[in-house]
Amino acid sequence: MRKLAVAAASLALILLVVAPLRLNGYFVNLIYITMVYVGLAYGWNIISGYAGYFSFGQITFFGIGAYATGFLINGLHWYWMVAALAGGIVALVLAGPLGYVMLRLRGPFFAMGMFGMAQTVRVLITATPATGAGAGLFLPPGSDVTSVYYWTLAVTLGAIALTLWIDGSAFGLRLQALREDEQVAGTLAVNVTREKIVAFMLSALIAGLIGGGFIYFLNYIEPDAAFSSRLDLQSVVMTVLGGVGTVWGPLVGGVVMTQIAEALWARYPQGYLIVFGGLLVALLILLPRGIVPAVRARFAAADE
Amino acid sequence: MSESLLVVDNVRVAFGGVDALGGVSLDVRAGEIFCLIGPNGAGKTTLFNVISGIIRPDAGDVRFLGQSIVGWPAHRIALAGIARTYQIVRPFSALSVLDNVAVGALAHVRSKREARVRAHEIVDFVGLGPLARRRAASLTLTQRKRLEVARALALEPKLLLLDEVMAGLTPTEMDGMAEFITGLGTRGIGAICGIEHVMRLVMRISQRIVVLDAGKTIAEGNPKAIQSDPRVIEAYLGAPVSEAP
Repeated sequence: MRKLAVAAASLALILLVVAPLRLNGYFVNLIYITMVYVGLAYGWNIISGYAGYFSFGQITFFGIGAYATGFLINGLHWYWMVAALAGGIVALVLAGPLGYVMLRLRGPFFAMGMFGMAQTVRVLITATPATGAGAGLFLPPGSDVTSVYYWTLAVTLGAIALTLWIDGSAFGLRLQALREDEQVAGTLAVNVTREKIVAFMLSALIAGLIGGGFIYFLNYIEPDAAFSSRLDLQSVVMTVLGGVGTVWGPLVGGVVMTQIAEALWARYPQGYLIVFGGLLVALLILLPRGIVPAVRARFAAADE
Repeated sequence: MSESLLVVDNVRVAFGGVDALGGVSLDVRAGEIFCLIGPNGAGKTTLFNVISGIIRPDAGDVRFLGQSIVGWPAHRIALAGIARTYQIVRPFSALSVLDNVAVGALAHVRSKREARVRAHEIVDFVGLGPLARRRAASLTLTQRKRLEVARALALEPKLLLLDEVMAGLTPTEMDGMAEFITGLGTRGIGAICGIEHVMRLVMRISQRIVVLDAGKTIAEGNPKAIQSDPRVIEAYLGAPVSEAP
Protein backbone atom coordinates (compact mmCIF):
# COMPACT_ATOMS: atom_id res chain seq x y z
CA MET A 1 0.00 0.00 0.00
CA ARG A 2 2.65 2.46 1.09
CA LYS A 3 4.93 1.45 -1.80
CA LEU A 4 2.08 1.91 -4.24
CA ALA A 5 1.41 5.41 -2.90
CA VAL A 6 5.08 6.36 -3.16
CA ALA A 7 5.24 5.05 -6.72
CA ALA A 8 2.08 6.95 -7.70
CA ALA A 9 3.38 10.14 -6.11
CA SER A 10 6.73 9.83 -7.90
CA LEU A 11 5.01 9.27 -11.22
CA ALA A 12 2.73 12.27 -10.69
CA LEU A 13 5.74 14.37 -9.79
CA ILE A 14 7.64 13.37 -12.93
CA LEU A 15 4.58 14.14 -15.06
CA LEU A 16 4.23 17.54 -13.40
CA VAL A 17 7.89 18.34 -14.04
CA VAL A 18 7.85 17.38 -17.73
CA ALA A 19 4.35 18.77 -18.41
CA PRO A 20 5.41 22.27 -19.54
CA LEU A 21 7.89 20.74 -22.02
CA ARG A 22 5.30 18.48 -23.64
CA LEU A 23 1.85 19.96 -23.24
CA ASN A 24 0.32 22.94 -25.01
CA GLY A 25 -0.34 26.24 -23.32
CA TYR A 26 -3.93 25.49 -22.36
CA PHE A 27 -2.98 22.47 -20.26
CA VAL A 28 0.03 24.17 -18.72
CA ASN A 29 -2.22 27.05 -17.68
CA LEU A 30 -4.79 24.61 -16.32
CA ILE A 31 -2.22 22.80 -14.22
CA TYR A 32 -0.75 26.11 -13.08
CA ILE A 33 -4.14 27.41 -11.90
CA THR A 34 -4.82 24.11 -10.15
CA MET A 35 -1.52 24.44 -8.32
CA VAL A 36 -2.39 28.00 -7.29
CA TYR A 37 -5.62 26.74 -5.75
CA VAL A 38 -4.01 23.72 -4.13
CA GLY A 39 -1.14 25.81 -2.75
CA LEU A 40 -3.55 28.37 -1.30
CA ALA A 41 -5.61 25.53 0.14
CA TYR A 42 -2.51 24.16 1.89
CA GLY A 43 -1.76 27.58 3.32
CA TRP A 44 -5.33 27.92 4.57
CA ASN A 45 -5.28 24.40 6.03
CA ILE A 46 -2.52 25.27 8.52
CA ILE A 47 -4.32 28.08 10.34
CA SER A 48 -7.87 26.91 9.68
CA GLY A 49 -7.49 23.12 9.52
CA TYR A 50 -4.84 22.41 12.13
CA ALA A 51 -5.32 25.41 14.41
CA GLY A 52 -9.09 25.62 13.82
CA TYR A 53 -9.21 29.34 13.04
CA PHE A 54 -11.55 29.30 10.06
CA SER A 55 -10.47 32.21 7.87
CA PHE A 56 -12.23 33.84 4.96
CA GLY A 57 -9.41 36.25 4.31
CA GLN A 58 -6.12 34.39 3.79
CA ILE A 59 -6.23 35.86 0.29
CA THR A 60 -5.00 39.07 1.95
CA PHE A 61 -1.52 37.56 2.04
CA PHE A 62 -1.73 36.36 -1.55
CA GLY A 63 -2.43 39.97 -2.53
CA ILE A 64 0.26 41.39 -0.28
CA GLY A 65 2.78 38.93 -1.74
CA ALA A 66 1.78 39.89 -5.28
CA TYR A 67 2.04 43.64 -4.70
CA ALA A 68 5.29 43.40 -2.73
CA THR A 69 6.79 41.33 -5.55
CA GLY A 70 5.63 43.89 -8.11
CA PHE A 71 7.24 46.75 -6.22
CA LEU A 72 10.53 44.90 -5.86
CA ILE A 73 10.61 44.06 -9.57
CA ASN A 74 9.67 47.59 -10.68
CA GLY A 75 11.51 49.61 -8.05
CA LEU A 76 14.64 47.60 -7.35
CA HIS A 77 14.76 45.57 -10.60
CA TRP A 78 15.13 42.30 -8.71
CA TYR A 79 14.98 39.02 -10.57
CA TRP A 80 11.35 37.99 -10.25
CA MET A 81 11.86 34.82 -8.22
CA VAL A 82 13.97 36.68 -5.68
CA ALA A 83 11.28 39.35 -5.56
CA ALA A 84 8.56 36.70 -5.12
CA LEU A 85 10.54 35.08 -2.30
CA ALA A 86 10.80 38.47 -0.63
CA GLY A 87 7.07 38.98 -1.30
CA GLY A 88 6.33 35.81 0.64
CA ILE A 89 8.53 36.99 3.48
CA VAL A 90 6.75 40.37 3.55
CA ALA A 91 3.43 38.49 3.90
CA LEU A 92 4.92 36.36 6.70
CA VAL A 93 6.24 39.38 8.60
CA LEU A 94 3.03 41.39 8.27
CA ALA A 95 1.05 38.36 9.44
CA GLY A 96 2.79 38.62 12.82
CA PRO A 97 1.16 41.82 14.10
CA LEU A 98 -2.03 41.25 12.08
CA GLY A 99 -2.35 37.78 13.59
CA TYR A 100 -1.70 39.12 17.08
CA VAL A 101 -4.76 41.34 16.69
CA MET A 102 -7.04 39.14 14.57
CA LEU A 103 -6.47 35.89 16.49
CA ARG A 104 -8.09 37.45 19.54
CA LEU A 105 -11.32 36.91 17.66
CA ARG A 106 -12.80 33.44 17.57
CA GLY A 107 -15.15 31.34 15.52
CA PRO A 108 -17.45 33.30 13.21
CA PHE A 109 -16.00 36.59 14.43
CA PHE A 110 -12.53 35.62 13.26
CA ALA A 111 -13.92 34.38 9.93
CA MET A 112 -15.77 37.64 9.35
CA GLY A 113 -12.89 39.72 10.65
CA MET A 114 -10.53 38.13 8.15
CA PHE A 115 -13.01 38.69 5.35
CA GLY A 116 -13.17 42.32 6.40
CA MET A 117 -9.40 42.56 6.52
CA ALA A 118 -9.06 41.34 2.92
CA GLN A 119 -11.65 43.86 1.78
CA THR A 120 -10.02 46.66 3.76
CA VAL A 121 -6.62 46.03 2.21
CA ARG A 122 -8.22 45.80 -1.24
CA VAL A 123 -9.98 49.15 -0.79
CA LEU A 124 -6.81 50.75 0.61
CA ILE A 125 -4.80 49.66 -2.40
CA THR A 126 -7.54 50.75 -4.79
CA ALA A 127 -7.42 54.20 -3.20
CA THR A 128 -3.62 54.54 -3.26
CA PRO A 129 -2.16 56.04 -6.47
CA ALA A 130 1.31 54.64 -5.69
CA THR A 131 0.00 51.09 -6.10
CA GLY A 132 -1.57 51.87 -9.45
CA ALA A 133 -4.94 52.16 -7.68
CA GLY A 134 -7.83 50.44 -9.44
CA ALA A 135 -6.01 50.21 -12.76
CA GLY A 136 -3.41 47.88 -11.31
CA LEU A 137 0.33 47.56 -11.01
CA PHE A 138 2.11 46.72 -14.27
CA LEU A 139 5.39 44.84 -14.62
CA PRO A 140 7.85 45.41 -17.45
CA PRO A 141 6.73 43.39 -20.47
CA GLY A 142 8.04 39.86 -20.90
CA SER A 143 6.52 37.14 -18.71
CA ASP A 144 7.51 33.51 -18.78
CA VAL A 145 4.79 31.03 -17.88
CA THR A 146 7.18 28.08 -17.56
CA SER A 147 9.21 29.67 -14.78
CA VAL A 148 6.03 30.65 -12.90
CA TYR A 149 4.82 27.08 -13.32
CA TYR A 150 7.96 25.66 -11.72
CA TRP A 151 7.93 28.29 -8.99
CA THR A 152 4.36 27.41 -8.04
CA LEU A 153 5.09 23.69 -8.25
CA ALA A 154 8.01 24.16 -5.86
CA VAL A 155 5.96 26.28 -3.45
CA THR A 156 3.06 23.82 -3.47
CA LEU A 157 5.38 20.86 -2.89
CA GLY A 158 7.02 22.86 -0.11
CA ALA A 159 3.59 23.50 1.40
CA ILE A 160 2.82 19.77 1.30
CA ALA A 161 6.17 18.97 2.91
CA LEU A 162 5.53 21.59 5.59
CA THR A 163 2.09 20.09 6.26
CA LEU A 164 3.57 16.59 6.51
CA TRP A 165 6.07 17.90 9.03
CA ILE A 166 3.39 19.75 11.03
CA ASP A 167 1.20 16.63 11.08
CA GLY A 168 3.92 14.62 12.82
CA SER A 169 5.38 17.33 14.99
CA ALA A 170 4.93 18.64 18.50
CA PHE A 171 3.92 21.96 16.92
CA GLY A 172 1.09 20.25 15.01
CA LEU A 173 -0.14 18.46 18.13
CA ARG A 174 -0.22 21.77 20.00
CA LEU A 175 -2.22 23.35 17.16
CA GLN A 176 -4.69 20.47 17.23
CA ALA A 177 -5.01 20.81 20.99
CA LEU A 178 -5.78 24.51 20.81
CA ARG A 179 -8.22 23.86 17.97
CA GLU A 180 -10.13 21.45 20.19
CA ASP A 181 -10.14 23.59 23.34
CA GLU A 182 -7.94 26.64 23.68
CA GLN A 183 -8.38 27.08 27.42
CA VAL A 184 -7.58 23.46 28.22
CA ALA A 185 -4.56 23.59 25.89
CA GLY A 186 -3.36 26.61 27.88
CA THR A 187 -3.60 24.82 31.20
CA LEU A 188 -1.68 21.93 29.61
CA ALA A 189 1.27 24.29 29.06
CA VAL A 190 0.58 25.12 25.41
CA ASN A 191 1.50 28.74 24.68
CA VAL A 192 -1.63 29.19 22.60
CA THR A 193 -0.98 32.80 21.57
CA ARG A 194 2.46 32.01 20.19
CA GLU A 195 1.50 28.77 18.46
CA LYS A 196 -1.49 30.20 16.63
CA ILE A 197 0.42 33.28 15.50
CA VAL A 198 3.18 31.05 14.10
CA ALA A 199 0.54 29.00 12.27
CA PHE A 200 -1.00 32.18 10.90
CA MET A 201 2.41 33.40 9.69
CA LEU A 202 3.20 30.11 7.95
CA SER A 203 -0.19 30.24 6.22
CA ALA A 204 0.59 33.78 5.09
CA LEU A 205 4.03 32.80 3.80
CA ILE A 206 2.58 30.17 1.47
CA ALA A 207 -0.14 32.50 0.17
CA GLY A 208 2.41 35.29 -0.32
CA LEU A 209 4.82 33.09 -2.27
CA ILE A 210 2.03 31.98 -4.59
CA GLY A 211 0.85 35.57 -5.00
CA GLY A 212 4.39 36.57 -5.95
CA GLY A 213 4.27 34.09 -8.81
CA PHE A 214 0.78 35.17 -9.81
CA ILE A 215 1.71 38.79 -10.57
CA TYR A 216 4.52 37.57 -12.81
CA PHE A 217 2.11 35.15 -14.52
CA LEU A 218 -0.37 37.94 -15.34
CA ASN A 219 2.40 40.52 -15.81
CA TYR A 220 0.28 42.92 -13.78
CA ILE A 221 -1.96 42.82 -10.77
CA GLU A 222 -5.13 44.69 -9.88
CA PRO A 223 -6.83 44.84 -6.49
CA ASP A 224 -9.82 42.74 -7.54
CA ALA A 225 -7.57 39.90 -8.73
CA ALA A 226 -5.12 40.16 -5.84
CA PHE A 227 -7.81 40.06 -3.15
CA SER A 228 -10.33 37.95 -5.02
CA SER A 229 -12.87 36.50 -2.62
CA ARG A 230 -13.69 33.92 -5.29
CA LEU A 231 -10.13 32.58 -5.24
CA ASP A 232 -10.19 32.62 -1.45
CA LEU A 233 -13.52 30.87 -1.15
CA GLN A 234 -12.63 28.26 -3.74
CA SER A 235 -9.48 27.20 -1.88
CA VAL A 236 -11.55 26.95 1.31
CA VAL A 237 -14.22 24.82 -0.37
CA MET A 238 -11.54 22.55 -1.85
CA THR A 239 -10.06 21.86 1.56
CA VAL A 240 -13.47 21.28 3.09
CA LEU A 241 -14.24 18.82 0.29
CA GLY A 242 -10.90 17.02 0.65
CA GLY A 243 -10.77 17.04 4.44
CA VAL A 244 -10.01 19.96 6.77
CA GLY A 245 -6.96 19.49 8.95
CA THR A 246 -5.62 16.48 7.06
CA VAL A 247 -2.35 16.23 5.14
CA TRP A 248 -3.89 15.22 1.82
CA GLY A 249 -7.27 16.96 2.00
CA PRO A 250 -6.24 20.13 0.13
CA LEU A 251 -4.58 18.15 -2.68
CA VAL A 252 -7.38 15.64 -3.13
CA GLY A 253 -10.10 18.27 -2.83
CA GLY A 254 -8.25 20.65 -5.12
CA VAL A 255 -7.61 18.14 -7.88
CA VAL A 256 -11.10 16.63 -7.71
CA MET A 257 -12.77 20.01 -7.75
CA THR A 258 -10.78 21.60 -10.57
CA GLN A 259 -11.14 18.52 -12.73
CA ILE A 260 -14.89 18.33 -12.21
CA ALA A 261 -15.23 22.05 -12.86
CA GLU A 262 -13.17 21.81 -16.03
CA ALA A 263 -15.01 18.76 -17.37
CA LEU A 264 -18.40 20.32 -16.67
CA TRP A 265 -17.36 23.60 -18.21
CA ALA A 266 -16.30 21.81 -21.40
CA ARG A 267 -19.66 20.04 -21.65
CA TYR A 268 -22.13 22.58 -20.31
CA PRO A 269 -20.55 25.99 -20.79
CA GLN A 270 -23.88 27.69 -20.03
CA GLY A 271 -25.07 26.00 -16.90
CA TYR A 272 -21.94 24.38 -15.52
CA LEU A 273 -21.91 26.40 -12.30
CA ILE A 274 -25.39 25.16 -11.44
CA VAL A 275 -24.42 21.51 -11.97
CA PHE A 276 -21.14 22.07 -10.19
CA GLY A 277 -22.81 23.66 -7.18
CA GLY A 278 -25.31 20.82 -6.97
CA LEU A 279 -22.56 18.22 -7.16
CA LEU A 280 -20.60 19.95 -4.45
CA VAL A 281 -23.58 20.04 -2.13
CA ALA A 282 -24.24 16.34 -2.80
CA LEU A 283 -20.61 15.42 -2.08
CA LEU A 284 -20.55 17.36 1.16
CA ILE A 285 -23.79 15.76 2.33
CA LEU A 286 -22.44 12.30 1.53
CA LEU A 287 -18.98 12.96 2.98
CA PRO A 288 -19.45 15.66 5.62
CA ARG A 289 -15.90 15.38 6.91
CA GLY A 290 -14.37 15.33 3.44
CA ILE A 291 -12.97 12.75 1.07
CA VAL A 292 -9.74 11.89 2.89
CA PRO A 293 -11.29 11.13 6.32
CA ALA A 294 -14.05 9.10 4.61
CA VAL A 295 -11.54 6.97 2.69
CA ARG A 296 -9.41 6.53 5.80
CA ALA A 297 -12.44 5.41 7.81
CA ARG A 298 -13.26 2.87 5.08
CA PHE A 299 -9.74 1.42 5.23
CA ALA A 300 -9.73 1.39 9.03
CA ALA A 301 -13.02 -0.53 8.98
CA ALA A 302 -11.51 -3.01 6.51
CA ASP A 303 -8.56 -3.55 8.87
CA GLU A 304 -10.69 -4.67 11.78
CA MET B 1 8.32 19.41 55.39
CA SER B 2 6.54 22.61 56.20
CA GLU B 3 7.43 24.95 53.36
CA SER B 4 4.35 26.10 51.51
CA LEU B 5 3.94 24.99 47.91
CA LEU B 6 1.01 27.27 47.22
CA VAL B 7 -0.24 30.26 49.14
CA VAL B 8 -3.57 31.81 48.30
CA ASP B 9 -3.73 35.14 50.04
CA ASN B 10 -7.03 36.96 50.48
CA VAL B 11 -8.18 36.36 46.90
CA ARG B 12 -11.25 38.24 45.79
CA VAL B 13 -13.17 37.71 42.55
CA ALA B 14 -16.39 39.53 41.72
CA PHE B 15 -18.70 38.73 38.84
CA GLY B 16 -20.78 41.82 38.21
CA GLY B 17 -21.26 42.83 41.82
CA VAL B 18 -21.53 39.31 43.20
CA ASP B 19 -18.52 38.13 45.17
CA ALA B 20 -17.69 34.69 43.77
CA LEU B 21 -14.72 34.69 46.10
CA GLY B 22 -14.77 37.15 48.95
CA GLY B 23 -11.24 37.06 50.29
CA VAL B 24 -10.18 33.43 50.43
CA SER B 25 -6.85 32.35 51.91
CA LEU B 26 -5.24 28.96 52.15
CA ASP B 27 -1.89 27.29 51.82
CA VAL B 28 -0.83 23.86 50.63
CA ARG B 29 2.41 22.07 51.46
CA ALA B 30 4.29 19.64 49.25
CA GLY B 31 2.86 16.16 49.50
CA GLU B 32 -0.22 17.39 51.29
CA ILE B 33 -3.72 16.43 50.25
CA PHE B 34 -5.89 19.41 50.83
CA CYS B 35 -9.63 19.29 50.42
CA LEU B 36 -11.75 22.20 49.41
CA ILE B 37 -15.33 21.43 50.20
CA GLY B 38 -18.49 23.37 49.92
CA PRO B 39 -21.90 23.24 48.32
CA ASN B 40 -22.46 23.91 44.64
CA GLY B 41 -21.72 27.56 43.87
CA ALA B 42 -19.43 28.00 46.86
CA GLY B 43 -16.54 29.15 44.63
CA LYS B 44 -14.38 26.03 44.35
CA THR B 45 -14.11 26.11 40.56
CA THR B 46 -13.59 29.88 40.60
CA LEU B 47 -10.66 29.41 42.95
CA PHE B 48 -9.22 26.74 40.65
CA ASN B 49 -9.63 29.12 37.71
CA VAL B 50 -7.71 31.79 39.61
CA ILE B 51 -4.88 29.46 40.57
CA SER B 52 -4.53 28.03 37.05
CA GLY B 53 -4.50 31.47 35.44
CA ILE B 54 -7.85 31.44 33.67
CA ILE B 55 -9.34 34.19 35.83
CA ARG B 56 -7.37 37.12 37.17
CA PRO B 57 -8.40 37.94 40.74
CA ASP B 58 -9.67 41.43 41.50
CA ALA B 59 -7.59 41.50 44.65
CA GLY B 60 -5.24 39.30 46.61
CA ASP B 61 -2.24 37.24 45.68
CA VAL B 62 -1.39 33.69 44.67
CA ARG B 63 2.15 32.53 45.31
CA PHE B 64 3.59 29.29 44.05
CA LEU B 65 7.01 28.24 45.36
CA GLY B 66 7.35 31.71 46.80
CA GLN B 67 6.65 33.55 43.55
CA SER B 68 3.51 35.51 42.75
CA ILE B 69 1.79 33.96 39.75
CA VAL B 70 -1.05 36.44 39.44
CA GLY B 71 -1.22 37.68 35.85
CA TRP B 72 0.85 34.85 34.45
CA PRO B 73 -0.61 33.24 31.32
CA ALA B 74 -2.06 29.77 31.92
CA HIS B 75 0.70 27.94 30.04
CA ARG B 76 3.40 29.51 32.20
CA ILE B 77 1.62 28.45 35.38
CA ALA B 78 1.30 24.94 33.97
CA LEU B 79 5.01 24.85 33.13
CA ALA B 80 5.83 26.03 36.64
CA GLY B 81 4.15 22.88 37.96
CA ILE B 82 0.43 23.40 38.52
CA ALA B 83 -1.91 21.04 36.68
CA ARG B 84 -5.65 20.84 36.88
CA THR B 85 -8.64 18.83 35.80
CA TYR B 86 -11.99 20.26 34.80
CA GLN B 87 -15.22 19.55 36.63
CA ILE B 88 -17.09 19.29 33.35
CA VAL B 89 -14.74 17.01 31.42
CA ARG B 90 -13.21 18.65 28.39
CA PRO B 91 -11.29 16.10 26.30
CA PHE B 92 -9.79 17.06 22.95
CA SER B 93 -12.56 15.06 21.27
CA ALA B 94 -11.05 14.64 17.81
CA LEU B 95 -7.68 13.45 19.14
CA SER B 96 -6.83 9.97 20.34
CA VAL B 97 -6.64 9.24 24.05
CA LEU B 98 -2.88 8.94 23.66
CA ASP B 99 -2.51 12.32 21.96
CA ASN B 100 -4.71 13.99 24.57
CA VAL B 101 -2.16 12.95 27.16
CA ALA B 102 0.82 13.61 24.87
CA VAL B 103 -0.14 17.31 24.75
CA GLY B 104 0.63 17.56 28.45
CA ALA B 105 3.81 15.51 28.09
CA LEU B 106 5.13 18.03 25.55
CA ALA B 107 5.87 20.29 28.48
CA HIS B 108 8.94 18.16 29.15
CA VAL B 109 10.03 16.63 25.84
CA ARG B 110 10.72 18.09 22.43
CA SER B 111 9.20 15.65 19.96
CA LYS B 112 5.73 14.23 19.49
CA ARG B 113 7.23 10.73 19.47
CA GLU B 114 8.83 11.11 22.90
CA ALA B 115 5.65 12.71 24.20
CA ARG B 116 3.67 9.69 23.03
CA VAL B 117 6.08 7.31 24.77
CA ARG B 118 5.57 9.14 28.05
CA ALA B 119 1.85 9.41 27.43
CA HIS B 120 1.66 5.65 26.99
CA GLU B 121 2.98 5.02 30.49
CA ILE B 122 0.47 7.43 31.99
CA VAL B 123 -2.42 6.09 29.95
CA ASP B 124 -1.55 2.60 31.18
CA PHE B 125 -1.24 3.88 34.72
CA VAL B 126 -4.78 5.28 34.77
CA GLY B 127 -6.10 2.10 33.18
CA LEU B 128 -6.93 3.48 29.74
CA GLY B 129 -4.18 1.49 28.00
CA PRO B 130 -6.49 -0.63 25.81
CA LEU B 131 -8.24 2.55 24.61
CA ALA B 132 -5.08 4.53 23.81
CA ARG B 133 -5.75 4.76 20.10
CA ARG B 134 -9.44 5.50 20.35
CA ARG B 135 -10.76 8.99 19.78
CA ALA B 136 -11.44 10.69 23.09
CA ALA B 137 -14.98 11.42 21.90
CA SER B 138 -15.78 7.70 22.18
CA LEU B 139 -15.01 7.42 25.90
CA THR B 140 -17.58 7.02 28.65
CA LEU B 141 -17.89 9.62 31.39
CA THR B 142 -15.76 7.67 33.87
CA GLN B 143 -13.12 7.09 31.24
CA ARG B 144 -13.13 10.80 30.44
CA LYS B 145 -12.62 11.59 34.11
CA ARG B 146 -9.57 9.37 34.09
CA LEU B 147 -8.37 11.04 30.93
CA GLU B 148 -8.60 14.42 32.67
CA VAL B 149 -6.36 13.08 35.42
CA ALA B 150 -3.96 11.46 32.93
CA ARG B 151 -3.49 14.70 31.00
CA ALA B 152 -2.82 16.61 34.19
CA LEU B 153 -0.32 13.97 35.36
CA ALA B 154 1.53 14.19 32.05
CA LEU B 155 2.61 17.70 33.05
CA GLU B 156 4.46 16.10 35.98
CA PRO B 157 2.99 18.70 38.33
CA LYS B 158 4.11 19.63 41.80
CA LEU B 159 0.55 20.63 42.58
CA LEU B 160 -2.57 19.02 41.19
CA LEU B 161 -5.96 20.71 41.28
CA LEU B 162 -8.70 18.11 41.07
CA ASP B 163 -12.09 19.64 40.41
CA GLU B 164 -14.87 17.24 41.39
CA VAL B 165 -13.07 14.12 40.22
CA MET B 166 -15.40 12.02 42.34
CA ALA B 167 -18.62 13.28 40.80
CA GLY B 168 -20.37 10.71 38.66
CA LEU B 169 -18.23 7.79 39.80
CA THR B 170 -19.60 4.58 41.30
CA PRO B 171 -18.63 3.85 44.95
CA THR B 172 -15.98 1.35 43.83
CA GLU B 173 -14.51 3.82 41.38
CA MET B 174 -14.48 6.46 44.10
CA ASP B 175 -12.42 4.17 46.31
CA GLY B 176 -9.97 3.70 43.45
CA MET B 177 -9.74 7.44 42.94
CA ALA B 178 -9.23 7.99 46.67
CA GLU B 179 -6.37 5.51 46.64
CA PHE B 180 -4.86 7.29 43.68
CA ILE B 181 -5.10 10.67 45.40
CA THR B 182 -3.51 9.33 48.55
CA GLY B 183 -0.73 7.96 46.34
CA LEU B 184 -0.02 11.46 45.06
CA GLY B 185 0.85 12.58 48.55
CA THR B 186 3.36 9.80 49.05
CA ARG B 187 5.03 10.81 45.76
CA GLY B 188 5.45 14.34 47.07
CA ILE B 189 2.79 15.92 44.89
CA GLY B 190 0.51 18.37 46.60
CA ALA B 191 -3.12 18.24 45.69
CA ILE B 192 -6.21 20.31 46.20
CA CYS B 193 -9.40 18.36 45.76
CA GLY B 194 -12.54 20.29 45.22
CA ILE B 195 -15.37 18.10 46.37
CA GLU B 196 -19.00 18.90 46.84
CA HIS B 197 -20.07 15.97 48.95
CA VAL B 198 -18.81 12.40 49.48
CA MET B 199 -17.75 13.29 53.02
CA ARG B 200 -16.70 9.74 53.76
CA LEU B 201 -13.83 10.08 51.25
CA VAL B 202 -12.94 13.64 52.14
CA MET B 203 -12.33 12.60 55.70
CA ARG B 204 -10.24 9.65 54.59
CA ILE B 205 -7.91 11.28 52.08
CA SER B 206 -7.30 14.77 53.34
CA GLN B 207 -4.89 16.11 55.89
CA ARG B 208 -6.53 19.51 55.96
CA ILE B 209 -9.85 20.87 54.81
CA VAL B 210 -11.16 24.29 53.97
CA VAL B 211 -14.89 24.74 53.80
CA LEU B 212 -16.17 27.37 51.40
CA ASP B 213 -19.65 28.74 51.39
CA ALA B 214 -20.81 31.56 49.12
CA GLY B 215 -17.24 32.56 48.36
CA LYS B 216 -16.08 32.71 51.95
CA THR B 217 -14.00 30.40 54.11
CA ILE B 218 -16.26 29.30 56.90
CA ALA B 219 -13.98 26.74 58.48
CA GLU B 220 -10.49 25.36 58.22
CA GLY B 221 -8.80 22.50 59.97
CA ASN B 222 -8.19 18.77 60.09
CA PRO B 223 -10.99 16.36 59.22
CA LYS B 224 -11.93 15.74 62.82
CA ALA B 225 -12.30 19.39 63.65
CA ILE B 226 -14.27 20.07 60.49
CA GLN B 227 -16.65 17.23 61.13
CA SER B 228 -17.69 18.65 64.45
CA ASP B 229 -17.70 22.31 63.46
CA PRO B 230 -21.22 23.64 63.94
CA ARG B 231 -20.87 26.22 61.13
CA VAL B 232 -19.97 23.48 58.66
CA ILE B 233 -22.83 21.33 59.75
CA GLU B 234 -25.16 24.23 59.34
CA ALA B 235 -23.89 25.25 55.90
CA TYR B 236 -23.96 21.71 54.69
CA LEU B 237 -26.88 20.06 56.27
CA GLY B 238 -28.88 22.95 57.55
CA ALA B 239 -29.44 21.21 60.85
CA PRO B 240 -27.46 19.38 63.50
CA VAL B 241 -26.87 15.71 62.79
CA SER B 242 -26.40 12.63 64.87
CA GLU B 243 -24.72 10.61 62.14
CA ALA B 244 -22.83 7.59 63.38
CA PRO B 245 -19.39 7.29 61.75
